[in-house]
Amino acid sequence: MVETVIMTNDILAEDFLTIFISSTLVLIFGGFYVGIYTAVKVNLLKKWTMPIAYIFWALTGYCMYVMGSLMHINTFTAKALVVAAFGLLLLPHAVYYMQHKVHEENKH
Amino acid sequence: MANNYLTTESKKLATWYFTFAAIIFGAQLLFGLVAAIQYVMPGFLFEIIDFSIARILHINALVVWMVFAMIGSVYWLLPDETGIETVGIGLGKLLYWVFVAAIVIVILVFLLVQVGPADQTTIWFITEGREYIEAPRWADIGIVIVVLGFIYNLYATGMKGNRSGIITVLMADMLAFAGIYLAGMGYTDNISVDQYWWWWVIHLWVEATWEVFVGAIAAYGLITMIGAHRKVVEMWLWIEVAMLFGSGILGIGHHYFWIGTPEYWWEIGALFSALEPLPLVAMFVHVLYDWGKMQGEQNAQGKEISVITNKPAFTWFVLNAFGNFLGAGIWGFFHTLPQVNLYTHGTQFTSAHGHLAFFGAYATILIGMFYLAVQGKNGIKIMKSTKKSIWATSMIVGGVMGMTIALTIAGYVQVLVSRAQMGATWAGYFDGQAGMWFAQGMDWRLLMGVITFVGFLILVADLLSIGKADHHER
Repeated sequence: MVETVIMTNDILAEDFLTIFISSTLVLIFGGFYVGIYTAVKVNLLKKWTMPIAYIFWALTGYCMYVMGSLMHINTFTAKALVVAAFGLLLLPHAVYYMQHKVHEENKH
Repeated sequence: MANNYLTTESKKLATWYFTFAAIIFGAQLLFGLVAAIQYVMPGFLFEIIDFSIARILHINALVVWMVFAMIGSVYWLLPDETGIETVGIGLGKLLYWVFVAAIVIVILVFLLVQVGPADQTTIWFITEGREYIEAPRWADIGIVIVVLGFIYNLYATGMKGNRSGIITVLMADMLAFAGIYLAGMGYTDNISVDQYWWWWVIHLWVEATWEVFVGAIAAYGLITMIGAHRKVVEMWLWIEVAMLFGSGILGIGHHYFWIGTPEYWWEIGALFSALEPLPLVAMFVHVLYDWGKMQGEQNAQGKEISVITNKPAFTWFVLNAFGNFLGAGIWGFFHTLPQVNLYTHGTQFTSAHGHLAFFGAYATILIGMFYLAVQGKNGIKIMKSTKKSIWATSMIVGGVMGMTIALTIAGYVQVLVSRAQMGATWAGYFDGQAGMWFAQGMDWRLLMGVITFVGFLILVADLLSIGKADHHER
């Protein structure tokens, strides 16, 4: 069935390096996003640096887009990557919310 | 060696496990070196220890030393967490010797017998032939009995003493860890079916149960080494468990791309593999967050001293956070989607990922546990690093990173030449390996392997001597 074919096109030889670098940057930028967010929340960084965290998240999304485009991913994998990107966006918010609640409970 | 500082039999048993783990760790590196030399000089030890045998010993020793160190870690933390001596410790000691004897016999058979006839004799007495778990069937059954005894010790102690969040997670995790091993013990003459079940052991160990184990040990380490708040640490632990199992279990799909399983595994594998780095990011932040938080609380009280009570162990725990993120996260995400995995599968990319992931995610934290045991065994209140600790850490980390980079370059050549340009043909396979960059990658891998091995020897010297140094606070 055509719909289930996941390999739509061959990857060009000259695209492999860009794919590997962009997939590395997905996690490095993702790490910066979560790291800066956490550092601001625990007062290691000033509050004005928070937008930088979101810029890194946007860069993560862009690198995912580059990586996915060059790999010629199918629609399903594209959706999976979007889910992962939004998962990363929500992750520190959810964890910090729970962390904050636990600290509040400990104080009282 | 007898001493007065270990107050429980469980911790003494843990040191036995750690000692044997360290010996097998050395064997793993030694046979890794033999295999690395054979890539550069194919005639090295020809018909004495062929590449296939060196490789078997290298990767099986890796699994065995880690399993020993993991069991040792549980015996070490059980009295601290439950507040009581481990139940059935006599059984634990007996099973330790059974386990050691079985492993020694298996290694001798691998070394001296090596191969057997193509019938049941080989499966029962020489090797089952499944990568990473190549022990013959009699040893398989022995391992199951030993681990069942260990599970009994853990459950009986957890139910009798204080059952903390860490112990609860370990009880569930170790049961899964043991149960999944059974999936690799059956026999089928269909290679696709065989591989399907074999991946249950390998993947669900390293990307689910072992990662959860690391989360539990990191939680214990943060509480004991920097005094992190238990409630906060255990909350993180539960989140990590949910995320690791949530993404890791069906992440198994990325091993089912090319073994003859149905095509829906491509999509399951792609989705969950894309999610798998998320818990690794969380674990990375977890360690740094708690460290920063505790040091901040200390500084706020006007005490400008480190909160860390065991510098070398904590160094390895922090390296674990980085290494897990780098090795399992970045080097895994490189080639986890099926579209690119079609080209990278079975190249040195896989090997690069394997080296850094096993080291970063597991070896680091287990070495950290070795140092925690040395601290406890020698009654040290605050343990500081020595020059040997720093040299060992630098050389091992530098060596493994160097091997990983060398293998990545070699893998990149294979992707381009063997796969993209020559279409995974027989000629392409050899052309890929004949290239200058591939050959130089193998040379650098060997050099970095030697550095890692020398670092390991210094690590052993440090573990044996650091407890006697007089610059610690006692």
